Amino acid sequence: MSEVAFLQLIGLSVVGLGIAVLLFIKARFARVVGFVAIVLGLFSITALSVPQMASLPPVEEKFDVANIKTASDMAAIGQKIFFSKGQCALCHSIGPSESARCPDLKGIGAKLTREFMYESLTQPQAYIYLDFRHESQPKEYPARMPYINKNPIGLSKNEILSVIAFLQQMSGEPITVSPSEITQASDAPPAQAKPAQTAAVVPIHAGGLNRDLN
Amino acid sequence: MGNHGDMRPTLVEQYRRPAAQVTGLAVAISLLALPALGLAQDAPTSVATAYRDIPQLGGSRNLIWVIAQLHLLLAGFVLGVPIFAWLCEIVGWKTGEKRYDKLAKEFTKLLTSSYATTALFGGILLFMLIGFYPKLMAYLSDIFFPSFVVYCGLFLIETATLYLYWYGWDAMQGTKKPLHLFLGFLLNVFAFFIMIVPNSWATFQASPVVIAEGSDFARAWAATWNPTWWPVNIHRLIANVVLGGYICGAYAGIRYLSAQTAEERDHYDWMGYVGNFIGVFGLLPLPFAGYWLMREIYQYNQQMGITLMGGFLSWLFILQAMLIGVLFLGSNYYFWLGITHRIPGSEIKYRKPIMTMLVILLLCLGVWMTPHSLVASLEEARKMGGTHHPLLGVFGVMSAKMTVANLMILVTFMSFIMYWRAGKEETAGWAKVAKALMSGVLVIAGIVVIVLGVWGYFVPAIIRINYFSVAQVLIVLFVMLTITPLTALLLRSARTTTEMVWGRMPPRAGYALVLNAVMVILLMTLMGYARSSSRVHWHIYGVMRDSSQYAFSPALGYAAAFMSLNTFLFCMLVAFIFWVATMGDKAKGKDPIEEKKHVPVGAYPAMAGGSQTLDKKH
Repeated sequence: MSEVAFLQLIGLSVVGLGIAVLLFIKARFARVVGFVAIVLGLFSITALSVPQMASLPPVEEKFDVANIKTASDMAAIGQKIFFSKGQCALCHSIGPSESARCPDLKGIGAKLTREFMYESLTQPQAYIYLDFRHESQPKEYPARMPYINKNPIGLSKNEILSVIAFLQQMSGEPITVSPSEITQASDAPPAQAKPAQTAAVVPIHAGGLNRDLN
Repeated sequence: MGNHGDMRPTLVEQYRRPAAQVTGLAVAISLLALPALGLAQDAPTSVATAYRDIPQLGGSRNLIWVIAQLHLLLAGFVLGVPIFAWLCEIVGWKTGEKRYDKLAKEFTKLLTSSYATTALFGGILLFMLIGFYPKLMAYLSDIFFPSFVVYCGLFLIETATLYLYWYGWDAMQGTKKPLHLFLGFLLNVFAFFIMIVPNSWATFQASPVVIAEGSDFARAWAATWNPTWWPVNIHRLIANVVLGGYICGAYAGIRYLSAQTAEERDHYDWMGYVGNFIGVFGLLPLPFAGYWLMREIYQYNQQMGITLMGGFLSWLFILQAMLIGVLFLGSNYYFWLGITHRIPGSEIKYRKPIMTMLVILLLCLGVWMTPHSLVASLEEARKMGGTHHPLLGVFGVMSAKMTVANLMILVTFMSFIMYWRAGKEETAGWAKVAKALMSGVLVIAGIVVIVLGVWGYFVPAIIRINYFSVAQVLIVLFVMLTITPLTALLLRSARTTTEMVWGRMPPRAGYALVLNAVMVILLMTLMGYARSSSRVHWHIYGVMRDSSQYAFSPALGYAAAFMSLNTFLFCMLVAFIFWVATMGDKAKGKDPIEEKKHVPVGAYPAMAGGSQTLDKKH
């Protein structure tokens, strides 16, 4: 029996129990408890009838230099990262989509150089215009794109290169990222913040800009 | 039990063993003391220990989930009840209706026992957190230590004020009443600060601000004043009022159902009315506070916002819509029952408006519950031309949902106004003009809200969010702030044509009150899960990663089972507190009904729709 079926069975049992209490027991408080059981059981059953999606922590891709022979191997890893740890698919689509909030990435590898893609991922604020429509200092238009190399996403350089390889491959372009660029030593994940040793942080301002907290 | 630095490998197995976890939890709940005992028997604590676990009792995360949720619900109750009681006391003092004072006292009496229970669960939670998550707690302690000190100080002051407020109730009547009210005010002020200090710890986990420079106090202050702190503070404050009101209503509902005498029925019918009134009073502005919170989350981190509203938690908001919809329907239904049963002869007069409001509410609920994309097979999706339904798909977006949420608030407000005016005839010379003005304001507001909602489809999201949605909220607030005082002025000189009769409500009214309370509690558990899950695999978003085997957010169905369990346990706890608090009175024969027989007659109906009949009777 699957987990959902098991929980549905419990939900139905609770509802059934509640109905039985209402039908056969006269004590008022018990009847109210039965009524509450029916409501809670129905709520659980309803919650079990919608799509069941758990959020699993991202799996760290292993970059074993010995096993990455071709650029396609990198693209395969990049594809996994694109849909998991990188969270790219949360906002971007590959091909037209009604639910995508950010640019469609189909063919992006043919439109942009790998250097530009790398910069877009690691310095999303680089080409954002300044807003002069007020007195005092001009303000930055905050980028909607987060810093991919910093937490909470925190892709390593190897992972970013792999994502670029995937974007180029799915655009039908030759992959310009070479497996020789993968370095075992530099593949440490972004550092976790150590208590009381974090650098100064500018917190937040309007526009959904992610700020690194390390 | 064991110590673990990293427990990731068993993630999937753990997740797929609900039976073991549920069974374990059942044992855990009945043996709450065991974790502490287990911890005490463990090997000497290693500084490097990041996590501990008791998988035999359902796992550390699930244990924390239950205890933290119960603590939070009890805290909401303990903070909501003083607001509720203080409001009732003010009403009683201003109008001379003694029954409000008695009601306030009756609920304040609950505070002493519920306060202790809340602290008990807070203590258990703290021990569990220190035991299960030592590394996280060390980090939080390092940042927030100054606020821990403040928190302890606040508790001392709050406790002293509560004692003075409760034990000084009878001594501070008459000319000393303002002093007692001032104590009630202080009680609520301290309670507010007791709420916002731990809020800063929880909101820090979601939207942390970490600075390395500065004194301990400066670091704590920077972390406290994080982007979601105030939105959560305001949202919780209002939600606590709603919780306090609806729990009062549910208590009254249960007592009404089991009432033996006409006096009891009168009293608890009236109490249910007051509870529902205060619940609705808080409910109406609550969606605005929720909207502000969500907006701040998006501004802080767009990914977190998308995870909530467009990612794996998006279906949660459909459930939220369902619960809020039922709550709105339940509250309105209770108003409508009140009109048709407490005011003889009004059934026919109000049938059409009630039916109209019911249809509007159901339509709005339907729109609110329409998901952005449908669960469909590939073939179905192909036939539809995507995952969006060709006709209903337009209702899945925020513009539609904001519009219907505002319309539901307007309808509920009109239910309340209708109830307030029922059985009365305006005698003022300007009554016709005022009524025409109120109708005009309502109709125009409804139209403008709908127009802005439709227009919202054709403008960029930023325009809709920053201007249209805000305008819709302001319009609804404007309606409330114009019609409420105007109605109050009109009714001041109104003639009562049909006196309100208490104690005639059918039993389903009592169940409606219970349903409303359950909906509010479920909503709190649901949104607690949302807030916690929005951090995904981070203890502190972007700063400290969760590397335990529980670094995942369970699916909605599994989470709903816990929400239901927590709701049930909380209801039982509250029932127990009520039972304990009133046990002494029953033994002494000091029933509030009996006491009320000696209460002097009040001068004016104290609250909208209230009546002095009950006072006159006695």
